[in-house]
Amino acid sequence: MKRLLASACVAALALTGTALAEPKGTFRQAHEYGFGDQSSLDPISKGRIFQITEKLMSRLVRPDMEGKPSPDLATSWEANEDATVWTLTLREGVKFHDGSDFDAADVVYSLNRVLDPDGDSPARSAVKMITGVEAVDPMTVKLTLDTPFADMPLQLMDYRLRMIPDGSGDTIATTGIGTGPFKLEKFDPQGTTVVVANTDYFEGPPGVERMEIIGIPDAQARLQALLGGQIDMESGITPQQRVMFDGSDKFYIQEVPTGNWRGIVFRTDVEPFSDPRVRKAMRMAADRDGLLALVEGGNGTVACDTPVGPADQYRADLSCPQDIEGAKALLAEAGFPDGIDVDVHVATLEATWPAMAEAYQAQAAEAGIRVNIVQVPTDGFWSEVWMKKDAVMTRWNERPADQALHEIYLSTAKWNESYYKDDGFDAMLAEARRELDFDKRRAIYVKAQEHLQETAGTLIPYHVTKLIGATSRVKNLDPVENMSIRWYKITVDE
Amino acid sequence: MLRMLIRRLALGAITVFLVSLIIFAGVEILPGDACTAFLEREAQGQLLENCRQELGLNRPATERYLEWAAGAVTGDLGVSANGQKQITELVGYRLRNTLLLASCAMLAGIPLALFLGVVAALWRDRMVDLTISTIAIGAMTIPEFVSATLLILIFSVWLGWIPGIVLTSANAPISEFFPEIFLPMMVLTFVMTAHILRTVRSSVIEAMASDYAQMATLKGVPYWRIVFRHVLPNALLPAINVVALTIAWLLGGVVVIETVFNYPGLGRMMIDSISDRDLPVTQAIALIIASVYVGVNLAADLLTMIANPRLRTLHMRKG
Repeated sequence: MKRLLASACVAALALTGTALAEPKGTFRQAHEYGFGDQSSLDPISKGRIFQITEKLMSRLVRPDMEGKPSPDLATSWEANEDATVWTLTLREGVKFHDGSDFDAADVVYSLNRVLDPDGDSPARSAVKMITGVEAVDPMTVKLTLDTPFADMPLQLMDYRLRMIPDGSGDTIATTGIGTGPFKLEKFDPQGTTVVVANTDYFEGPPGVERMEIIGIPDAQARLQALLGGQIDMESGITPQQRVMFDGSDKFYIQEVPTGNWRGIVFRTDVEPFSDPRVRKAMRMAADRDGLLALVEGGNGTVACDTPVGPADQYRADLSCPQDIEGAKALLAEAGFPDGIDVDVHVATLEATWPAMAEAYQAQAAEAGIRVNIVQVPTDGFWSEVWMKKDAVMTRWNERPADQALHEIYLSTAKWNESYYKDDGFDAMLAEARRELDFDKRRAIYVKAQEHLQETAGTLIPYHVTKLIGATSRVKNLDPVENMSIRWYKITVDE
Repeated sequence: MLRMLIRRLALGAITVFLVSLIIFAGVEILPGDACTAFLEREAQGQLLENCRQELGLNRPATERYLEWAAGAVTGDLGVSANGQKQITELVGYRLRNTLLLASCAMLAGIPLALFLGVVAALWRDRMVDLTISTIAIGAMTIPEFVSATLLILIFSVWLGWIPGIVLTSANAPISEFFPEIFLPMMVLTFVMTAHILRTVRSSVIEAMASDYAQMATLKGVPYWRIVFRHVLPNALLPAINVVALTIAWLLGGVVVIETVFNYPGLGRMMIDSISDRDLPVTQAIALIIASVYVGVNLAADLLTMIANPRLRTLHMRKG
């Protein structure tokens, strides 16, 4: 079976979608300056400031408003019989900001840079199944995979996989040359970075003439800057801060459901969690609606221990009400009729962890699960506590279903934080990747998630809904996850 | 006088040395290092090993300290662990920005504090004194981050007169910091004025009650002549030390204020470097702040000595 996407509809979209008006006005936004002096415009480096690279550079494939793959620099793609070779057709007539033409050589170079094991790029995990990138002709690229993978285009949507000019690896960190809707004017990570409209952008000229991306490390300061009208958009609004915006005509708040989650992970390779019944009891004792209401003010979607986000096409429709009696029964069956004691390690690295741990402590106590909260320092949490202690808090950002299931639960995964080893589960994931029929593939992913609900060591109570605050002068801001926003659409009132 | 100066300088050098030792030990004891801070969840295995190798973090702590100290003595502060840039260059602009903020606050604050302090003392227990003193106590007790946030709320969010957050980058020309600098400057002026004026007030009251002031009153010297000729020169001497401490506090980079207002000075750089575990930068800033404290206090003592007739008779003639 072959999968084909006509480029005609894309061209039509480009014509109707963009207003043909001159770009005007300035849109301002903050970034956290989280990587200090290592801040970079290299999209695949650890220090990348994605708030800037996403405006400068394009991907091969990008998510549409429903999160499905849609054309960016690749206009269509198709797989061979067993989905081990993918052929991408590239967009014609695209130019980089420096005037050079975009073609297959740039794609080969950009992807090989990510795949280079010496490059240490954190983006490599998204596409590490690619073993070969080959330019068939100037507008066609062939990807060879080491495993059948029916959802390869989903992986190419990763927000870091942006195309840069052939051979520009040594300079990209400061030049930021790409094919995106904006061109770099000034890069100043700790101050104000300025990007200006690229009128040659392949989707048409962007709506605003200039974007300023400003480094403000302190979250409180970013909020003040938004309230004072110094920036136009800020994505980290907490439910508590929301009241400051509600009822004001100077701002609006967008609710964006995400696949980001926070939870508690129990190591399945140590007593007593090595018994699946104990793990299940730990998870059955949680009142997820209660946790969501208490910790996030209700801003989220209940998850039944599936890492797959609510908007993902592979999300399983599961139900998981709190079941104290069931949890007690399972514990008794596993040999703990008097309940168990659990040390849960909590840091303030994630602001909502302490609240979640305390709320869970109260809920689980009813089932005879005595949670002892152990406070650990934020410093060195990932290296000293996570994947070391038996029960710790954890958090993950959104990933496509396949990637989330692989990175968190595959028995050989580097970040298999619960040390989950289940041959049947591993086999399901491999089978799903081979299955080219969408409905069948979906059925397998759903089965895998149901399997996790029975056996996993990870309590995932909910997925977080992100609150994005914007000043009311900002128009056409897509109400979607950051990586899907079409920045060229945004306009501002003068 | 010269011997005293040399002794004080030597003591100062020892203080700075001890501070650098304590800071180094402090950051070293904290869990995690520059590599775990940067790599976060990826701080494992080969990646962590490579990073530590690159930054030389796998060498013993004493060796790293000695190397740093040897460099610092010759004026070379080394390179930052995070980004590998020359620290002298990084710190330079930050120091300038902190100096800019400090001098703006001092220019406004010191004259204001002296004036209000003297007024409060001369009209002691009257309405004007009660008002000034109450506000001063308020300014001293309300934490800076509260008054800072209130000022942002009033002047930036409600009235929209002045930008609330400083968005200018560290190496921008000085002129670009206006008008963003006004709010942090106001908060600092507020706090330092309160501290200085209370000292001035009490020492003026003390001087007014002194024997020589009463003697002058009995002799029939006019009131304002007593105040300006006899009381103020004596009363303002103790204020010099308070002013000096305040200046040192300001130059040390006012950490909280700089963070709240996103001001790119030494204080915010200190916070950033500690959270990045960037030991060389943290050390360099601590060194600067310690030297400023030692230097300003020494200057204040010398100034007091020069201004005090009882101490200057040996070496200086009365003009």
